[in-house]
This record gives sequence, structure tokens and C-alpha cells, in this order.
Amino acid sequence: MTLLKSYYQLCKPNVVYMMLICAFVGMLLAEESVRSFGYLFVALTGIALCSASAAAINQVIDRNTDASMTRTDQRPLPQGELSATHASLFAFVIGVIGALILYLYVNTLTMMLTIASLIGYAFIYTIYLKRATPQNIVIGGLAGAAPPLLGWASITNTIDPYALLLVLIIFVWTPPHFWALAIYRKDEYAKESIPMLPVTHGVIFTKLQIVLYTIILFIVSLLPYVVLMSGLIYLYSALILSSMFLYSSVKLYYSSDDEDAMKTFQFSIYYIFLIFLALLVDHFIILS
Amino acid sequence: MKQITTLSFIGICMAFVVIALGAWTRLVDAGLGCPDWPGCYGFIVFPTNEAEIALAESRYPMFPYDINKAIPEVVHRYFAAALGLIAIFLVYFSFKNTKDRSIRAWSIFLLFFICCQGLFGYLTVSLKLLPIIVTTHLFGGFATLTLFYFLYLKSRNFEIFNQINIPNLKGIAGAAFVILLLQIFLGVWTSTNYASLACADFPTCQGSYLPEMDFKSGFNLNQEVGPNYLYGLLDNPARVAIHYSHRVTAILVTILFLILMSRLWFSNAAPLASTLGILLLTQITLGIINVVYVLPLYVAIAHNLVAACLLLALFTINYLAWKK
Repeated sequence: MTLLKSYYQLCKPNVVYMMLICAFVGMLLAEESVRSFGYLFVALTGIALCSASAAAINQVIDRNTDASMTRTDQRPLPQGELSATHASLFAFVIGVIGALILYLYVNTLTMMLTIASLIGYAFIYTIYLKRATPQNIVIGGLAGAAPPLLGWASITNTIDPYALLLVLIIFVWTPPHFWALAIYRKDEYAKESIPMLPVTHGVIFTKLQIVLYTIILFIVSLLPYVVLMSGLIYLYSALILSSMFLYSSVKLYYSSDDEDAMKTFQFSIYYIFLIFLALLVDHFIILS
Repeated sequence: MKQITTLSFIGICMAFVVIALGAWTRLVDAGLGCPDWPGCYGFIVFPTNEAEIALAESRYPMFPYDINKAIPEVVHRYFAAALGLIAIFLVYFSFKNTKDRSIRAWSIFLLFFICCQGLFGYLTVSLKLLPIIVTTHLFGGFATLTLFYFLYLKSRNFEIFNQINIPNLKGIAGAAFVILLLQIFLGVWTSTNYASLACADFPTCQGSYLPEMDFKSGFNLNQEVGPNYLYGLLDNPARVAIHYSHRVTAILVTILFLILMSRLWFSNAAPLASTLGILLLTQITLGIINVVYVLPLYVAIAHNLVAACLLLALFTINYLAWKK
């Protein structure tokens, strides 16, 4: 039972659930009516297995770094609950099964996009970007922003501009989300000589970047209304949520308390969840 | 030592450019864009206005002038010459700033090697694209790149490589290197004999998994000197044999690489394993696109450059496996 729990933890379940919600919203927005929940479930399973595989690969590669950071030292590999060999095999098997499900029951485009984001996160981000540049999470954020596109492609078998707009929202949201956490954890990143922005350019500069990115996010979050993808319900929700996010990041800029960074980080998680919920509610209320 | 690192890094970048320009020259069939060497129709750059073109054509009446083919050839030559200059600077700094005898020796060898490459560039033109000469010339280009890279590795201490300890992988790394060299030879041979489109379908070749092939003439390295080899002279079955071999060897390369990658992965060398994997996946994709989409120019050039990257990756792995 503990072994099962370790494998479960290896998949970074919280991150995967968040990605699945975004993919699910992408699926629901792609069409006017829901095709069949069975099909959506199968497609989500495929995406979930590939995302979990990417998370596991990330933990295998980073196991030594993870062991020396309090944020990550409870993970199953640093705890010695799983061996690197078993974790690697597990990641390989669920990744292959996930890709096969997408290939056989969904479509080839979704499979290729999912594999591309798996490679982008598990290898290109973890191995090269993370240690190469303070822009690591900005560039690597593209892989993490893919889920709505994956969900959308699983329904339409195309790369839809609206889906790319959803990707853009997550892509712009990632830097302020992650940098808020990085400010809170900067000493640990410094110890492992990972060039996170607060380590290389200082906390003040990072806070400024968070504010600037939140402003961009404010504008981007209005685009679904501008391009007539969503209606007024979404517009008002986005205005309120983005204002709150902006308020939180400006407050962080003038604060000297690291706890405020944690608050901004936590708010950013609610933010992305609620924005996607608003998109969904808006979509189905307009239809009915 | 810093200058050696910088210069060899510039050399690596420049060698990639020259390899890309060489591939471009070959792919737009501009290998004989200038019938003479080192000038082009007797000009230092290439004829541009009407008077010069008339003069050029009177000098070489057998070779009608085409500016679109002269440009790639001349640009390739001058960039290659710049590579020679970098090598001269490398030799100079290896004597001025270091006492490392092996760096000195390799720098001199590199300069000598680039001179030989120039000679083969000349032979490419004068022997009218004889496939074995063009093949050697391309291999020389890859070797030049590898030599710059070798000097770069020697002159700089990479912390990330110090943590990697893989002496147990000598065998498999060596085997993968040999099969990769064979595969690069087959790829170049495919290109120099104009066999890239001999099989226009994938995964089958001419609608069959075992098409009619003529290995004997396809792999006759002792081709006759004299005729013009532009667009290739081999019969279709011979070209199919070359193309088919490149595909079959790709499968062997993939199998060996997968074994090597899994060994690297479990030897705490995940970065090397993933680099190899990403490059291999890219290369196979580019190869398939080349066939299915009838050799798009930029894809074909990229197939060439990724081959060079794969060579460097395998060289690195062997360098780390065999180092003392």
C-alpha cells in the first residue's frame, strides 16, 4: 500500500490534476455539444498517463537535487521508497501506454502534441533549461501550457487558434506563478546553484517582473472576449480575477515579508482554476 | 587557454555553417557552379554584369553560366577559407599561450586537415563530382567539425562531465560510434549518387519491402574518372540499393542507440541519454520527411546538420567513456 502511494506521489498528482482540468476545459470548449463522456475520459486518461510519465522522469533526473531541498525532499525517490530503476521503468511503461491510448482511440495529432510536451518538460526543461538560464521557467512554461491545446486537438484533430489562446493564458501566467514560489524558496535554489531569477537578479527585480507579467496577463486574459470566443460572464470574471492577481503582485512588490510571496503563489493557483471555470460557465450559458 | 576555448568554439559554429553551405551547394546541384578552382570562371568572386558573364562563357564554353549555381559554390568556398583562418589563429595561440603539447599538436593537425579539405574541394570540381571524392570531402567536413570540438573539450573543464563516470560503456559506445560512421557514409553516398528519391514511398520502397536492387554497381567505389557526375550516373536498381541500405542501417543505429541510451540513463548520465534520444528522434523524423515530401531543401540541410550533431554527441560519449 505504501508502495502504491509512492508510485502515486511519483506522478505529481496535484500538477497532473490541474493539467487535466485545463485539458478538460479545452475539450468542452472545442465543440458546442459534448460528444460522449466516455471518449473524453479515454482522451484524458491518455493525457494523464503521459503527464504522469513526464513528472516521474523529471523526478528520476532530479533525484539528487530534490534530496537537498525541503520543498522536494519528501518525494519518493529522495526518501528511498523507490529505486531509480523502478521509477524509470514505471515512467516508461505509463508513457508508452498513454501514447498508445491517444494513438489508437483519439488521434495522431493529439499523440504527437502530447509527446512533444512530454519531451519539452521532462527532458528539455529538466536537463537543459533549468540549469542554463533564469528564463528557464518562461521557456519551459510552454510545455506546461499545452494541456488546453491537447484537449482541444483530441476533439477537433486540428490546432485551433482559440486553443492557442488558452495556451497563451497559461504561458503568461506561469512566470509570476513560479517566481512567487522561487522568491519564497530562493535560498534552496541558490544552494543547488539553480539559476532562478531571484537568485541571479535579486528579489526586487523578480518582484518587478511578477508585476509586469501580471499586467500582460491582465491584457491576455481579456482576449477571449475580444476575439468573440467568450461573452460578458467571462469578461467580468476575468476583470475581477486579474485585478485581484494584479493587486496581489503589487502588494508583494512593496512588501518585505516572504510570506506574501507564498500568498501570491497560492492565489495564482486559484486564479488559473477560476479563469478556466469562468470560460466553461460562460461557454455553456451562452449556448443555453 | 581562454583564447583556445573561444577560438575553437567559433570554429565549431563556423564549421556548422560551412557544412550547411556545402549541403546547400550539393542540394541545389551547384557543385559545378564554377568549373575552375580557386577562382570562379576566372573571377575572384563571380561574374555579375553582362560583360563579365560574356567573358566567363567565352573562357568555359562547355559550362553555361548560371549565377544561381555560382553563388552557393563561391559562398561555400569563402566561408571554408575563413575556417582556415581560424585554424591559423588556433595554431598561433596554442604556441603563444599554452604549454600543452597535445593542444599544439592537434591544432597543427587541424590546420593541415583543413588544407587537405581545400584540396578535396578542388578535386570535387576538377573530377566533376566523382562520388567517392565528394563523399570524402563531406567526411572531411565532419572531421574538421569534430577536431574543433575536440580542442574545445580539451581546453575547457566541464564540471558537468566530471560527474559522469562511464568506463563500463566503452564497448557499446564504440560500437554505436562505428555504426553511426557507417550510417553517415551511407547517407553521404545516397546524396552524392543522387539516390535520395530512389524510394519515393515510406516505409516501403517502390511499393515493396524488398525492391529490385543492384548492390554491386551501387557500392562500386571505383567509379570511372572523367564523366560529369552531376545528377548521378547510376541505374535505378543501384540507387535503390544505396537508399535501401541507408534505411536498414537506420534501424540498426536506432537499436544500438536505444541500448546505449538505457545504459547511460542507468549510469547517472541522463543528460547524455536524453540528448542522444532527442537528436535521434529529430533525425529519423527529418529523414522520413525527406522521402515523403520529396526532399524539401531546408529539411535536407537540417538532416545533414543533425547528423553532424549526432556525431558530436557520440564523440562526447566515447570521449567520456575512454578518458583516463
